[in-house]
Amino acid sequence: MIDAVLEKIREADFFQELSDDALAAVAAKATLRKYATGDALMRKGDPADSFHLILEGHLKIVTTDARGDEIIINRVGPGETIGELALVDERPRSAGAIALDNVEALELTKEAFFDLLDHRLDVSLGILRGFSNRLRFSTTYIEKVIDWSQKTAEGDYSFLEHTQPITNRPGTDDDKAAQLLSAFYSMVRRVKAREEGLKQQVEQLTFEIDQERRKKEFEEITGTEFYARLKEQAHTIRKKRQGL
Amino acid sequence: MSEGKIVSIHSFRGGTGKSNTTANLAAQIAMMGRRVGVVDTDIQSPGIHVLFGLDDQKMGKTLNDFLHGAATIREVGYSVGEHPAEGQGRAQLKGKQIFLFPSSIKGGEISKILKEGIDFNVLNEGLQTAISEFDLDYLFIDTHPGLNEETLLSIATSDVLIVILRPDNQDLQGTAVTVDIARSLDVPNLLLMVNKALPKHDASAIKAEIESQFDAPVTSVLPLSFDMAENASRDLFSLSYPDHEWSQALKNVVPFILNAK
Repeated sequence: MIDAVLEKIREADFFQELSDDALAAVAAKATLRKYATGDALMRKGDPADSFHLILEGHLKIVTTDARGDEIIINRVGPGETIGELALVDERPRSAGAIALDNVEALELTKEAFFDLLDHRLDVSLGILRGFSNRLRFSTTYIEKVIDWSQKTAEGDYSFLEHTQPITNRPGTDDDKAAQLLSAFYSMVRRVKAREEGLKQQVEQLTFEIDQERRKKEFEEITGTEFYARLKEQAHTIRKKRQGL
Repeated sequence: MSEGKIVSIHSFRGGTGKSNTTANLAAQIAMMGRRVGVVDTDIQSPGIHVLFGLDDQKMGKTLNDFLHGAATIREVGYSVGEHPAEGQGRAQLKGKQIFLFPSSIKGGEISKILKEGIDFNVLNEGLQTAISEFDLDYLFIDTHPGLNEETLLSIATSDVLIVILRPDNQDLQGTAVTVDIARSLDVPNLLLMVNKALPKHDASAIKAEIESQFDAPVTSVLPLSFDMAENASRDLFSLSYPDHEWSQALKNVVPFILNAK
């Protein structure tokens, strides 16, 4: 494995806790893969049999909503890993990963990964630390959502302007926190749009009076005998009061 | 006959906050040391007594009794200043000159009046007597929404008519007819007030637009307030929360009433 690749592995957040020796052991087990734009590294529902470290290029992490439309829940690039959680919990892929340009990635199969964990305590410990970092990161997500929920309740949408829902941190295809944040973001945007629509509607409505209906209703009320008598009585009383 | 002014508060549709506005305006003017009366001519659905903390048990003679000749106006007038109800807002009315002329909340009494109808001269005489006997500066009338006969009677006798509307098309349409009726009945002071404007809505744009539509002054644009909705029936909001934006906007209406000719 060439030094440039080893350097990339060292920069990956997921492996940041590993010693050089442990990194070299990982690199020795990995295979270099190349993908063209539009290629799928994995699809939702696939069995989880490997994970990838992106060396070059970018991918979108996608899932589908209730109507079957594609939702992009994240975008990942060099230094990020995808699919490592599924490897550990042995569940099918919860999201797909599609190449947005030419992608180079290191693939580590399940067997190779478990073999490493089995024989290298330093690798195991480093990976565990990586997961622990991720857990902390998810907690930050939750704190953010709490903060934004409070802001939304108060009608303060300013965070939409100066925060970015897509993150360049690792932890992608299984990352429910990222999905939550993304869904939350889209919810707040829609609430904001609805609120603005309502405001505009009210402004437009104030410009419309049906003059014909106005005239008709006025005539219906004033055309009665009761009204004629009332108008006369009111007139008399006003005059009388003015005179005093 | 006294120089006290009759101020009717009206809205074309229900739910505009009419009774709340009436009670709070009357309370604000009473707090300034003026002598104020509040008549509930919303005979079909009376409610303003609740805002002053007057319940069924405490309610004595009513406007209905006066209208069938079973009580004098003096007997109907209930001194709010002598019987301040619970609530930190209402408590401030202690010792103030504010009198409530409630409508009966008994079903039989309500249907009786509606069946018999109200004689304009009798109602007018009652209002004039209330002004002279209680030496009132202002007599507020809380009317029934819409333009039925008893509401037309109230409008016909008013010196000041405040029409409350929400900034929506249906209210605007109904207000147009009310404005035309008020002009036909020679009401000397016609004022508009917008309530329940959406938060962050451009109040000055609403004011300008409605003033140009009706050629009448918009006294104030009051915001839609959940604080207000939550506390409305428990107390007089503008007295208990004087710094709230709704209360501040309500107080903007007061000089229009005081300056009415």
